[in-house]
Amino acid sequence: MAILVNRETRVLVQGITGKSGLLQTKSLVDFGTTVVGGVTPGKGGTESAGVPVFNSVAEAVEAVAPNAAISFVPPLFARDAAMEAMESGIKLLVLTMEGIPKHDVLDVLAYAKGRGIRVLGPGTAGIISPGKCKLGAHPSRMFIEGHVGVVSKSGALSYEVGKTLTDAGIGQSTVVALGGGPIWGMTHRDAVELFNDDPETEIIVLLGEIGGSTEIAAAEYIADHVRKPVVSLIVGRSAPEGKSLGHAGAIIRGNKGTADSKTAALREAGAHIASSPAEIVQLVRKLR
Amino acid sequence: MKLYEFQGKALFREAGIPVPKGTVCTAGDTGGLFAPSVVKAQVLSGGRGKAGAVQIVETRDEASRAAEAILSMTLRDEPVRAVLVEEKAKILKEYYLAVTFDGEAGTPLFIASASGGMDIESVADQTPERILKVPVDALWGPTDYKIRAMCDFLGYGDRREFASLVRALWRLFREKDAVLVEINPLVATESGLVALDSKIEIDSDAEGRQKALFDRFRDEQARITGRRDEGGQDTITYVPLDGDVGLISDGAGTGMLSLDLIRDFGGSAADFCEMGGLTSPEVMYSAMDQVFTKAPGIKSLLVVLIGGFNRMDEMAEGIVRYLEEHPTSVPLVVRLCGTMEEEGKTIMRRAGLAVYDDLRTAVSDAVRFAKGA
Repeated sequence: MAILVNRETRVLVQGITGKSGLLQTKSLVDFGTTVVGGVTPGKGGTESAGVPVFNSVAEAVEAVAPNAAISFVPPLFARDAAMEAMESGIKLLVLTMEGIPKHDVLDVLAYAKGRGIRVLGPGTAGIISPGKCKLGAHPSRMFIEGHVGVVSKSGALSYEVGKTLTDAGIGQSTVVALGGGPIWGMTHRDAVELFNDDPETEIIVLLGEIGGSTEIAAAEYIADHVRKPVVSLIVGRSAPEGKSLGHAGAIIRGNKGTADSKTAALREAGAHIASSPAEIVQLVRKLR
Repeated sequence: MKLYEFQGKALFREAGIPVPKGTVCTAGDTGGLFAPSVVKAQVLSGGRGKAGAVQIVETRDEASRAAEAILSMTLRDEPVRAVLVEEKAKILKEYYLAVTFDGEAGTPLFIASASGGMDIESVADQTPERILKVPVDALWGPTDYKIRAMCDFLGYGDRREFASLVRALWRLFREKDAVLVEINPLVATESGLVALDSKIEIDSDAEGRQKALFDRFRDEQARITGRRDEGGQDTITYVPLDGDVGLISDGAGTGMLSLDLIRDFGGSAADFCEMGGLTSPEVMYSAMDQVFTKAPGIKSLLVVLIGGFNRMDEMAEGIVRYLEEHPTSVPLVVRLCGTMEEEGKTIMRRAGLAVYDDLRTAVSDAVRFAKGA
């Protein structure tokens, strides 16, 4: 099972012939992801990384029936590509690019809403269900198949925790990176909901950071609906107030968005709090 | 890109949102001064009123004195280089009206309040019931019933006038790729609604399709400040801190984690320097340069790399090239893993540089080296 992507996922790569698209497609194919095709307008009929290239998503849908798309389309053209994928019936979009104009992202999310389409990103490292499907940039060997579901805003932090779990022999059902903002499609809460319903996921690891409130929304959901053990690590607890640390939301203003307020909400909701990846391993071992 | 008040008001005027008549004066060009009027500092930060940088004047002499005084001020490190001189408005009531987006909900958001003229964040903190937040669908825009709800919440009498103002605000927000359009205060006068202030920020990610707009405002800003901002190409976030362990990471999440771990191990970081998840040898080089230049006193440097999109061979190349050109005795701790890891480790090894695999060991060593142990 896992969440979002599994062995049945048939991937379409939008922007497959660009530098980033080509390199990442090779990595997806090497991992074993079923990449059924790519799209670059004007390059239809060729091959890229051993994958057939189509001129449009509609052509690709007709020929190879993809059910998920990952996009490496340059920022100013990303909205059009996303609309094309959604209007062709694809229900899972992974938008890797940073720097897509905000209004374009808002348009894509507005279209996706109410149509059962999930958008991950933008600016996301993507998603990996070890042993099944990778739809993102996760370094494959840092992950092994198992029963811990991981969700993080930061891609790098999701690798770090994946690596630490894997080194300790603990496998993962799915590892999701949501992206660094300032606009998000899927959020912590959405991923927690999916993990809660996934029979293969036994423990949920929620990785958060200072700033914003998506961890708080997830904590509310956990309190009301989640019976699986949740382990959480919030990074940035030593950050100074008023300084923005890389991600658009990662800033402490007054007493809002602090690591303390988030860990308190999560603890209150029944989550177990870790202060480092190594502690996540200890807690997961105890809770299994 | 943030706009000056007078630039935002030019956009309001073009969009059909009423603003007072006014003119911009600089130290070298005060010919446009008039009275009675309001003389307002043109700066990109807020808090002008409290600093005395907005003055009401009755005579031309007062206007000159006010302009001179304001033009010699520095507000939040920003020297005032221009003033906007405007006709006074006869204010019946002050409102707050803005459109921006809620990133976590993924929708545009209107914010309205009858407590205009005040700092909206403190209104939100102390009296949240005095603020109405109205999410709107990006593709539908503000529908009639939502506009009515805002108008009723504010208690403004002329719904048609209010609706046309909200629609004009929305068009401006969309067409100019704005991420924030704020009117504070929006005032009711005898002749209707007038925008007494403007705060507009244009999405720098949209520059590629808003070339004319960016050129226009950059030229204006350059004429005032004497220097042209060409927009940021740099993806590096550098935040100075007061410790002695230099820190560079290729992700915000792992950067914050490293910051926490440095403290847990009894050390303190000299900076937070994050390169973003899709970078290059040049960016790695430039990050090293920033850390060594801005904090020359660091006692060790911790580089935390975990490559997804980032290639470790490219990161190693950047590190090695920097150290070849800038030899240093500062102990270096590089944790490097992920995409093209073997290639990266080989490049480091050839240059005689150690590579760590485990983050805790790396942080612990970086802290230990900083303590001279």
